[in-house]
Order: sequence, then structure tokens, then C-alpha cells
Amino acid sequence: MKKWIAGAALALTAMTGTAMADGHGDYPERPVMLMVSYGAGGATDFQARIVTMTAGNEDALNMPIAILNKSGAGGRVGWNWLAGAEADGYTLGAYNVPHFIAQSIEGGVDYSTDSFEPIANWGADPAVFVVGADSEFNSMDDVIAYATANPGGLTFSGAGLFVGHHIAALQLEKAAGVELAYIPNNAGGAGAMRAVIAGEVLGGVNNLSDAFRAREAGTVKILGVFDLERNSFIDDVPTLIEQGYDIDNASVNYRGVMVPAGTDQAIIDHLAAVVPTMFENGRVASRMAAGGSPMHIMNRAEVQEMWAQRQVTLEALLADL
Amino acid sequence: MTDLPRTQHIITSGAIAAVGITVAYISYTQEPAAAFVFPRLIATVFALLAIWTFVKALLGRTKVGQGVNGQDMRNLLPGLVVTLIYAFWAAKELGFYTATTITFFILLTLYDPAPHTEAKTWIKRVLITAGFMAVMYGLFAMLLNVYTPREIFS
Amino acid sequence: MEFLYYMGDVFTPINFGLLLLGTIGGLILGATPGLSPTMTVALMIPFTFKLEPQQGLILLGAAYTSTVAGGAVSAILLKIPGAPANIATTLDGHTMAQKGEGAKALQISFIASAIGGLFGVFLLIFLTPVLATWALAFGPSELFWLAILGVTVIGTLDSSSVVKGLLSGCIGLWLATIGFDDIMGAQRFIFHSSVSGGINVIPALIGLFAIPQVIAMFAKGRSNVDAEIIVVQRHPIGAAFREVFSRKRALAIGTAVGSIIGLIPGVGGQIAGLVAYDQSKKMSPESAKFGTGHPEGVIAAESANNAMVGPSLVPLLTLSIPGSPTAAVLLGGLLIHGIFPGPALFTQYPEVVWPFINSMLVGQILMCVFGLLIAGWAANVARVPRAVMAAVVLGLAVFGSYSVGHSMGDVYVMAALGLAMYFLERFGFSAAPLVLGLILGPIAEANFMQGAMIANATIGQMAYFFTGWLNWLLILIVLASIGYSIWMELLQRRYTTKEDAQA
Repeated sequence: MKKWIAGAALALTAMTGTAMADGHGDYPERPVMLMVSYGAGGATDFQARIVTMTAGNEDALNMPIAILNKSGAGGRVGWNWLAGAEADGYTLGAYNVPHFIAQSIEGGVDYSTDSFEPIANWGADPAVFVVGADSEFNSMDDVIAYATANPGGLTFSGAGLFVGHHIAALQLEKAAGVELAYIPNNAGGAGAMRAVIAGEVLGGVNNLSDAFRAREAGTVKILGVFDLERNSFIDDVPTLIEQGYDIDNASVNYRGVMVPAGTDQAIIDHLAAVVPTMFENGRVASRMAAGGSPMHIMNRAEVQEMWAQRQVTLEALLADL
Repeated sequence: MTDLPRTQHIITSGAIAAVGITVAYISYTQEPAAAFVFPRLIATVFALLAIWTFVKALLGRTKVGQGVNGQDMRNLLPGLVVTLIYAFWAAKELGFYTATTITFFILLTLYDPAPHTEAKTWIKRVLITAGFMAVMYGLFAMLLNVYTPREIFS
Repeated sequence: MEFLYYMGDVFTPINFGLLLLGTIGGLILGATPGLSPTMTVALMIPFTFKLEPQQGLILLGAAYTSTVAGGAVSAILLKIPGAPANIATTLDGHTMAQKGEGAKALQISFIASAIGGLFGVFLLIFLTPVLATWALAFGPSELFWLAILGVTVIGTLDSSSVVKGLLSGCIGLWLATIGFDDIMGAQRFIFHSSVSGGINVIPALIGLFAIPQVIAMFAKGRSNVDAEIIVVQRHPIGAAFREVFSRKRALAIGTAVGSIIGLIPGVGGQIAGLVAYDQSKKMSPESAKFGTGHPEGVIAAESANNAMVGPSLVPLLTLSIPGSPTAAVLLGGLLIHGIFPGPALFTQYPEVVWPFINSMLVGQILMCVFGLLIAGWAANVARVPRAVMAAVVLGLAVFGSYSVGHSMGDVYVMAALGLAMYFLERFGFSAAPLVLGLILGPIAEANFMQGAMIANATIGQMAYFFTGWLNWLLILIVLASIGYSIWMELLQRRYTTKEDAQA
């Protein structure tokens, strides 16, 4: 009887066996998994699905990339998982800067910039300040004037604490020298946008891509961009700097691919060479543009530099809290 | 026998009350306090209800729930042990497909009333196991691309 | 009536083929434990990359429609609710299947689904502008009261004792706080690394419902089944239609509750079924029959689940805000083709939107037809020997909970909760209120925290949570619900029989 059991087990493992073989001479030999630390349908998830859709092409990885969503607590759940995941080259993760760096500075998580190795960046989504379409505010000066008259009374929503929106809010508070009431939303960017449209809050910080879409739908006005330059999707909207507030691009939401530290250097090099070209694919660019998602491709060295910069900026900004 | 459920009620409701009190204690002592406002509210109600249930059980006034009798316990124990080993150890260490095959077969052997002495019984059990595993493999590995932990035989 | 103009587009050979594919695929994936409707639709998105926008959306619309109904199959036959929406379906549906009435349970579930679903989609077609304002009416204070209303349902839901029901609910509410809290990011009650990411609702559901049933089968031992062989009754489809239409109260309550609750962003899909079940139980003269395999329970739960599908898309299509996780995934399906939802959607892309909505109408009917075809055959699952059934459910539970997040932690949580639940059930606790607590906890907490923050910055907490007619309406319903529970408890006490006292 034991033979039967062993036989059945062997037959089964033979089926899975080929997919489980080790060694990375011909990496990748099986589909690769990309962990996204936000729910299916969120902006990061949506973009990750587009930029990885050509992974199966021969000039890319030659293997498809499957998306795995691990959402919760502003991304902490997913990145905690990735920091402890098997560094076998088949487990990739999507990063959101400044989110994960700010969270690691704040503490209470198992990761820092040293826990991950960047591969490439695909997008940069600046934060913008939005108000409802019927709001009396028409510029950032109107907003700040209200906040000065009502200290701590200007309610505005964002996707959570220690994410890009929160960083933008802190920068605004510091640059304008006023006290604001930042309301983190548990339902992410979409929930924060809903709060603005429904008039539950007076304004909000949100992703440029979502705000652009909402403005097309006629439900919001965009008053300012938290970036160094205007954005081509909404080039009529001035930056915060133009409006006289000294705010840099520390809150811009950079999205890209990384692997857990400890992944074989040969695999990292292979991915770092292939993944940026995969992002440059024309089909990817047209889909991203159609969805209103700004692209910004950076290679591994550029991302490493960007991470190091953000670490310094954010440590200084969050030290004041 | 009439007293058995009562003792069992005291044990379970006592365990729940202990959990409730622990949760309440943690809620009121942990920092940051702002993150524990809601847990405190829940834990307070939880602990109070749990203590009430416990007192009712002590007084023997619990009306619902028939408890677990000795015969049930003897019957379910082997299956329970197999389930525990499967879920908490074998699935990860042996791989999902290997562990499920073995567990499935053992459970059939333990609970299938057909006589163990006939060859026909064993063939049937092997076929059912193989059929089930084929469906699971097709659904989860091939259709849904679920990457399960490494199989021990590969 | 513009939707009729585009009805023809659904029936071109390619589009209809995709509609069939979406419906059948959705039914199968929806019935797979661990795959929620959101994940099923997300899995279908890559197929739409290569399709025309119209075709892609038809596939997604059909899939969304049928996965919600597909979840009822595993809920009825295996007692594994595929998603929170199907919890209420297990309560009476699985009991019916055990009695050999699986065919009937499946048939009425599909018919009720189709009726509720069609109603919901018609609401979407005719009342979208009106409904859009309603979807925005629910801010943090209203959502908080709504969650509290849900909590008051806990005591009376599928539990023989109000106190034990409430206690089960509290355990669920507490379990929901484990992990990082969603707003502050602080860690709470993390006593083991498997729960560091919090308790995921779907593995918890699988564990709480499926595992106690597996252990109960073990408890019956290696006895010969001949003594209690189940006769799977055949059930004519015509009779199923008559059954559903004769239970007008449950059907109406389910459809109404599903349509109204489905509109509320972030809450609807998960609790519509349970609230509808509880309401029909309270308003039924035969409320004692609920939980013992009463068709009305299945009808109320399933009509509510599918009635929610249409309205849940209203905030997305009109305001460009995804109101539910599934709507968020559908938003991705639209964006990928460069289509921005919003008020202009119906004028700019009528050739995409109307076929999409039509695909949900036709999908409801197709889903019902397929469902009725397989019902008689699928009900034979009840004849599977107990030993095989226990092993199958256990295997599915492990695979299903793992596949949600590719995590062993979810499997451990599933098994641990399941084992604990078996013993708790033996002492008068039940899984449904516990799960309701697990779902409502985060909604109540997050909205309370947000509301308190807004209130502190503006008009103060008392004024914030107690102004506005909608707040007061919800508070009154909460009070009525609590009053009803207390009254029922007192009545029960007076009529407690000797048997109950001994049990």
C-alpha cells in the first residue's frame, strides 16, 4: 500500500517538479510574482498590471509576471511580508516612495531601505491639492487664508498617515506656517477623493492621476501641484512653488519594482537590465497615457540615488513631528 | 452525564472570560493610546459579557449548547490530529500537493466505513484521492497560477 | 430606453461568446473557495487587454454578475462561503442541502439572484442620477451609525442566545483589531507573526464555516452511512419558480435591502446578504424556521447579493469614484482603454457603457439558466460519503485560504479559528455574528476616527455625530433594533421550555 501512496505523491510532484527546479542559469524559468502592497484596483495595482503586461515577450523576461495583492495599513502589511519573503528572484515587489521610507523612519515595521534592492522605476505621480467643484477656494492662497483665519479648522483628506499625501500635507503646513487638520482616509486615495466630492472635508491631497480623472468628470478643481515643475496632464495648474510656497518634490509618489535584499546579484543585474526596457515598450506607454498615469522610467542606479535622497529629506521632515 | 456539559460550559466560558480580560488589560495599558480607543470600547463590552456568561455557567443556568460527549471526542480525535499536522506542519514542510495527497488518503482510511480487508476498497480510495488531486492541481496550479511552497519530492 | 438601442451589440457572435465565457468562467471561479468576486474580476482583466473596449467590458460585466451568484454554490453545497456576501446563504442553504434539498436550494438561489440582480441593474439604468447623490450622502458619521446598526443585528443573528450572540460578535470585533490599525499604523495584539498583517476576512470565513463542519463529520466516526442515507430529492424547475414567487416578502426585502445597501460605498457588498437575512427573519411570521433550512433565508440572502451588483457601480459610472473593491477593478478595465468614467461617459462612450450594462442584464438571465441546468446534478454532492466530503472540504479550505495571499499565515489563521469555532459552536456560540463583527469592526472604527478628527477640527463630536436627518434616522433604527432584540429575549425567557433548560 505504501507504494501506492508514494507513487501518487511522486506522480503529482513530477507534475509540479519542473516548475519548482532551482538554479538561475536560465532565469527566469517559471512565472515571476510581483507583490503590490495595495488592493486590486488601486492606482499602484492598476499601473503594475499595465507595466508588467509585456513581461512574457521574448525581449523582456520571457515569462509572465503575476500580481499578488497584499493590502493593509497603508502598505505596511505587504512590505513587511516582502522583507521576510524568499529572496529567490521569483518574488518581486512594487515600491511606493516616499511611503515605505517614511514608514520605516516612523518605526514599527520590519523594513528599511536596506531591506530591499531597487530594480527600476516606472512612474511618478505627484500629489495635488483638490477642492470640490463648487468650492469657494480658487487658489492655494485662498486655502491658506482660510486656514490662517481658522487655525486647525481646514479639514483636508489624504490616503493615510506616512504616505505621499501626508508628506505633502506636512510640507504645506511647514511652508505656509499654519495649522491644518489632515484627515487620513482608511479607503485610500479613492476614499479621500470621495470625501472631497461629497463635501465632508474642505479640500484634499490626492494623486495627480486620480485628480485629473475627477476633474474630467467635473467633480473637483485642482489648485496646485506638489512638484518642481508643472505636469503635462494638467499644465494649466501651477506648482506650489509658483504660488509662493517652498515645497519640493519629496511627496511625489514614485512607483517601481524592487526585490528583497539577499537576492542573487546575477538576478538583480539581469532584472535591472531587462525591466526598464520592458517599461519602455510602446504598448505600455500608450496604455499608461490612456489611463492618465504619468510615466517616469529610471534605472537601478538612478533609483538608488533617489532612495538615498528621500531618506535624508524625510528624516529631516519627520524629525519635527 | 448531566453534569458533564455544565463542567464543559464552565471551562469554555472561563477560557473566553480569560481572553476577554487579557484583551481588556492589554487595551488599557498599550501605547499609543490613540490607537486603542476603539479596542478599549470593544474589550470592555467583551470582558463584561464574557464574565456574565461565565457566572451563568458557574450557576448552571446555561441553556444552550450540548457540549461534546465522550463518544464524539473519541471519534473526532484521530481526524483532528491529522488536520492539525496537515494545516500547521505538513502543508508547508512537505508541499501542498504531497501533504494533501497523504492527508486525504489517511482521512479516507480513518473514516470510510468500507471494510479494510478488501482490495476493492483500497483501489477506490486511491482513485478518489488521485481524482481529487488532479482537480486541485488543475484549478490552483494551472488555472489560477497559485505558487504553493516547494514540494519535498522535487 | 437607450439601453434597448444597444441591446443588439450584446448578441453579435463574438460578444455573445465572450458573454457566455464570462458567465461560465465567473460561475466556476466564484464557486472556488478563496476567490472573492474582486479577485475573479481582477483575474479576467488581462484577457481584456487584447480585446476591443466594448468586448472587454462585456466579459467583465458578465463575470462580475455570475461570480456573485457562483459563490452561493460552494456556500450551499460545501458550507464554504466564497465571499462575505454568501455568509447568509450558508445558514439555510447548507441545511437544505444536508436534508437532500440541495437541488431546490440551488434553484431558488439562482432564481432569487436573477430577480434581485435584474432589479438592481434596472435601478442602475433608470435611476443613476438620483442614486448618485444618495451614494454621497454617507459620510463618516453616517457610516459609523450604519456599522453600529450592523452590530445590533449581531445579537439576533443565527444564535440561540442573545448574550452569546453578542459575545461572538465581540470576539469578531476584537479579531478585526489585530494587526496594524488602518489609520495610525500602530501595531495591536500581534501575538504571533501569522497575524502581523491582521486577520484576512476570507481565510477567516473559510475556517469559521468549513472547519467546524469537517470536525463534526469526524465526530460521527467510522459508522456505516446506510443508516442515514440522504435521498437527494429531484425538484422541478417550475416548482422552484412558484416557490420563489410565493415567498414575496423575503424576495422584496432582499431586493430592497440589497439595492439600498449596495449603493453605500465600501460597505454594501459585504453585509447586504446578512442584513437582508436578518430583516426577513425579523419580519417573518415563521422566524423560528430560519436556520433550519427555510427557503426564505436563501431567497432573502441571494436576492440581496445580486441586487447589490447594479447599484454598486453607480458611484463609479457617475462620479468616477469606485464604491467597492470590485468597482475599483472594473475602473482599471475602463482606464486601460482610455475611458474615463464620469457624467460624460454615457454621451461619450455609449457604445461601451450600454453594452456593458446590457451584458449584466443578459448575464443575470444566462447565469440563472446555467445555474438551473447544473442544480439537479450538483445537488448530488450531498450523496458524497462523509469521509470523502470531510477530506475534500479540508483540502479546499487549505488551498483556498492559501491562494488569497500566498501566505501560510492565512492557513494557520483559518485552521486555528476553525478548530476554536467547532468547540464554541458546541456551547451555543455561532460563526455568523463573529464574522459580522470581523467585517464591521474596521468600518465602525475607521469612520469613528475620521469623524472624530473632522469633528474636532470643526463643530465638535456631539454636533457632528448627532446632526442631519440621515444620522437620526440611522440612530432611530439602531434603537428600534436593540429594542426588538430585548423584547425577543424577554419573550423567549417567558416561554423557555423544560427541554431547553436541560439542554
